[in-house]
Amino acid sequence: MTIFIGLINGMISAATPILLSALGGALTYYAGIFNIAMEGMMLSGAFFAVLGSYYFGNWLIGMLFGILGALLIAGIFILFSVVLKVDEFVTGVGLNMFSVGLTTYLLRQIFKVKGAFTDPGIYSVPKIRLPFIEKIPFVGDIISDQNLIVWIAFIATLLVNYFVFKTQFGLRLRAAGYNRICLDTSGVSSNKIKTVSLLLCAVLCGFAGTYLSLGYVTLFSENMSAGRGWISLAAVILVSGNPIGIALVSLLFGLADGLGLYLQHIFPSQFTSMLPYIATLAALFFYSVNNKKKMEVKL
Amino acid sequence: MAHNLRNILINLAGILIAFLLGAVVMIFQGYNPLETYEALFGYSLGNTYSFMTVLKNSVPLILTGLSASVAFASGPVNLGQPGQLLMGALFATVGGLYVNLPSVLMIPFLLVSAMVGGALWSGIAGLLKRLFNMDEYITTLMMNMIADFFTYWAITYPFFEKNANHPQTPRITKNGWMPEIGDFNTNFLVTLIVFVIIWFIFYRTTNGYEWRISGKNSLFARLGGVEIEKNYMHVMLLTGALAGLAGGLIIMAGPHRFIKGLGANYAWDGIMVSMVANNGIVATLIYGIFFSILQTGALGMELITQVPSELITVLQAVIVLVVVASRGYFTLLLSKMMTKRKLKERSA
Repeated sequence: MTIFIGLINGMISAATPILLSALGGALTYYAGIFNIAMEGMMLSGAFFAVLGSYYFGNWLIGMLFGILGALLIAGIFILFSVVLKVDEFVTGVGLNMFSVGLTTYLLRQIFKVKGAFTDPGIYSVPKIRLPFIEKIPFVGDIISDQNLIVWIAFIATLLVNYFVFKTQFGLRLRAAGYNRICLDTSGVSSNKIKTVSLLLCAVLCGFAGTYLSLGYVTLFSENMSAGRGWISLAAVILVSGNPIGIALVSLLFGLADGLGLYLQHIFPSQFTSMLPYIATLAALFFYSVNNKKKMEVKL
Repeated sequence: MAHNLRNILINLAGILIAFLLGAVVMIFQGYNPLETYEALFGYSLGNTYSFMTVLKNSVPLILTGLSASVAFASGPVNLGQPGQLLMGALFATVGGLYVNLPSVLMIPFLLVSAMVGGALWSGIAGLLKRLFNMDEYITTLMMNMIADFFTYWAITYPFFEKNANHPQTPRITKNGWMPEIGDFNTNFLVTLIVFVIIWFIFYRTTNGYEWRISGKNSLFARLGGVEIEKNYMHVMLLTGALAGLAGGLIIMAGPHRFIKGLGANYAWDGIMVSMVANNGIVATLIYGIFFSILQTGALGMELITQVPSELITVLQAVIVLVVVASRGYFTLLLSKMMTKRKLKERSA
């Protein structure tokens, strides 16, 4: 039973950053942007969150800085891809490398270290204790004592879902991706919609980055996003951007991650660390085979 | 010819803007940009020895860059260079640990092993696309991470050097080391030969023509009788082999063993090289050497001016973004100017 609860908690904490950045990716997916900069946004967010938390001794300011860090990357993305019309793929790859360079450079400039920065002066984002629910066996062990950002991810899933399918902006967002010219001719600037979707994506990736450096652990290490942005991109594509689908896929990846931790006693850790990536391939496999069947039926 | 000249000018303008942006950052941080750039280029181009180091270091950048350029220009979005490089390096290392032949045979054997390792890894992604229609840009990315952990495991357990402090393999046989002529490492010679072969295949053979046409317009190519699926597989295997070769040459020219973190950023840098080179084969060679100048000089810059070498990673990304942006922008500007001039001529 304890193992089972541990597994579920491991699943939730591994799923959280992927879910948050994938929700951001969903917004840009609907807006018709080929956005692969989530990795860079998350990494920049993780660094600036530590910076803010360390200098102001306050996790809330850390979180704010994390969001600003991700917004910085989004701002450059907007400048190049929306304003200067540079290929989105090139912009994304360039910005991901830019984030790696920027964070390692600042890590050395500001904290005078290479590799990782950890200090008791970094305040992490607190866990939320639920006074009555925590007494309930099993349910309490899972729902209570989760990190604040886990709850933010949960609420964000519902909000994004509502936002995309039930609001006027959501309609325009989907229109921007579906038929940009049609949207432009009806008097709504698709560039404006794209810009807003990128900014919102950055806010979500900022939370994801903050979770990595101030939730999961309390430190910043070089390249700590470790491909999570790519996994979240895969999650978005697998479910064609549907937020609820994204939540389920993220939990699946989280489960693979959590399972990996348990299997470490049996297999070398290098193999168990591969599990989330193999799970992504497996999910893509079922998605593609399914799609192929559908296509054949249509034909 | 005029077109080429214009292209060169646009690229130079983009690089200049990127350097100016870098200078602004340096001034902001209290460094002297002129001194810093002088140290950067002095260290990488100051004498023959340092230039030879630049050439040696440019090998993985050029080969992964060629891999990405050929792939992107032909259609497949092979983003698996990092993983293919690692698998190539692992194959070359294992070959060099267990096989011992005279140098004349050993070096070609290891080069081929490295290519097989890379092609195997990209071939899996190619098969997944062909059999199950799984998008290669996600499968190759995921396989990068898997290769990362797999090679980490390989150098931690089966091929681990005893008594070493951190995961690494023993040295490969000396017969497999790339020979050096003075300070010149022959790994660059191999790269030049590969470059000529790739250029020839890409621009002077029917296959290369079909790849380029498929990359520009796959429907047109298909209607013209090009076998897209077959070509797709060929391109994936070839580009994987190129990235694998990059990994093999790192081992054979440099540390002669597989160390953890080997070639960490080379392959992504190679992808950036192909982007800034607009997938041109010749431009990839030139930008590969240029990026190597920056990376090699970064150390000197840090030694002389205390500017952390990591700044170069930022500068590289800025160069890519600015050059690509200015290419689009200047091309637009120039055609606008041309149109205006033509209009004037007509009205006059």
